[in-house]
Amino acid sequence: MTLVLDQVSKSFGGLAALSDVSFKVNDGEIIGIIGPNGAGKTTLFNLITGIFPPTEGKISYHGKNLLGLRPYKVTALGLARTFQNIRLFGHMSPLDNVMVGAHCRTKAGVWRGLWRTPAQRKEEKSTRERAQALLQLVGIENDTDSPAGSLPYGQQRRLEIARALATEPELILLDEPAAGMNESETEDLRLLIKKIQMMGKTVVLIEHDMNLVMNVCDRLVVINFGQKIAEGTPAEIQKNPLVIEAYLGREEA
Amino acid sequence: MDIILNQYYLQIVIFVLVNAILGVSIYMTLSTGQLSLGNAGFMSIGAYTCAILTVKAGFPVYLAVPIGGAAASFISLIIGYPALRLTGIYLAIATLGFGEVVRVIILNLKITNGALGISGIPTLGTKISKMLSSFGLSRFGGLTAQQTSNLLVLVVLIFILAFLVFFCTRLNRSRVGRAFASIKADESAAEAMGINTTYYKLLAFALGAFIAGMAGGLSAHLTFFIGPKDFAYHRTVEILSFAVLGGSDLIIGPIVGALLLTMLPELLRSASEYRLMIYGALMVIMMAFRPQGLISEETVRFWKRKLGRRIKQ
Repeated sequence: MTLVLDQVSKSFGGLAALSDVSFKVNDGEIIGIIGPNGAGKTTLFNLITGIFPPTEGKISYHGKNLLGLRPYKVTALGLARTFQNIRLFGHMSPLDNVMVGAHCRTKAGVWRGLWRTPAQRKEEKSTRERAQALLQLVGIENDTDSPAGSLPYGQQRRLEIARALATEPELILLDEPAAGMNESETEDLRLLIKKIQMMGKTVVLIEHDMNLVMNVCDRLVVINFGQKIAEGTPAEIQKNPLVIEAYLGREEA
Repeated sequence: MDIILNQYYLQIVIFVLVNAILGVSIYMTLSTGQLSLGNAGFMSIGAYTCAILTVKAGFPVYLAVPIGGAAASFISLIIGYPALRLTGIYLAIATLGFGEVVRVIILNLKITNGALGISGIPTLGTKISKMLSSFGLSRFGGLTAQQTSNLLVLVVLIFILAFLVFFCTRLNRSRVGRAFASIKADESAAEAMGINTTYYKLLAFALGAFIAGMAGGLSAHLTFFIGPKDFAYHRTVEILSFAVLGGSDLIIGPIVGALLLTMLPELLRSASEYRLMIYGALMVIMMAFRPQGLISEETVRFWKRKLGRRIKQ
């Protein structure tokens, strides 16, 4: 069991954003988290990555308790994420953005950076090469001098994925990666997610694009009003009356 | 020769250089997006530590200046750890308060000589000329001893500034510099990408304090007298205005800002009493029309493109 959420609740003031959500993610799986807007999906990601702590419940990763860890430590443990509202380092180049992702896997400090010691140069070179490889993987030309913020929207989404992959995660949390993408871009994204899985990584995906979710995910968790209402394979979820009700409303008798 | 090497001009250039070093100190903290207004405080810690060491303990200047920087840096770590939990305007106010606290403490301590300040600080110039005459070199060509020593002070300051510029550009193109830039761009995204934001913010804060402390130590040994008034609120505003005018994206920004704002009052000698008013007006004008400062990354990109095209033609 890779990631385990046990009866996780989160309330903001009196408002319960999530209540008693439990599920498990297995190694190498692609899990989709779906649910209507405002159901608490992004809150779930924020809890897992340590942006804020849950009000109640436990979250563990490979048996290690994630509660109370600052986000950078969670990332160092091998969980990386992207953001729903793109949060690239806008004025930095795409390559630098990805290289920032490699931060927690590299070492050079002020002294080595200042004198460009052989160790630092070697590290810098390998970081750059890996970053370039990742840019290629997500399909961004890395010769651009223009800042990341001026890339087309779809590329910015893919750049976020590259940046997250640069942290060398075992598990990657993607928050609505297909938002704002057209059909062919979404298809590229599907292939990319499959590639990430083939790299031996686990993927947790929040997505509204049902076509993508049903095609790419091994299992789905459905959240509505902060509660888990269903879990299962895409085929099972499609037939689940609770899910249909959450998305389409109840049929008038 | 005498016209160019006029004592007055040399003095101005020396002030420009010290201010440029202060500009680098605020650039350092701003490079993680933290607006610290404590630089005058750190400067005074450096200046007093350094002056007390040389005047009362007989330390050589070249040792006292870095020790002054280290003292400022040490204090910055102590106040930085709690203060850097604050961001934006709150951090600015907290550090501004810190600067005032330091000033009041200095005003009331015996060792700092209270409001009277410390005088009779050996100037760098006399130190250097003494050293030279001990080598039997009191005059160079047609230069007076005064001019020689002033010129050498200039060389020392240029060397320090050049090293700081080198330090910052090297840092910017390294892992640490990328961490700084990412925190400046989006702190919580940087943290989510595995960067220990507290550590790097504190690092930038302490480096900035070190540079400010060193600038303080140097300025104490250039003016021969320091008092608590030298490091009051107006000093902080002055340092900040270097970055506001010049821009804080690139290290050249605050240096150009320091150059312009140090020269300006000298050029407008008659208006020197209105200096702070001019600073204030400049800040408002810059905020309204060019909040990124005179020199930003776009400026550099623009000129590169323009010049590149001209060369091709």
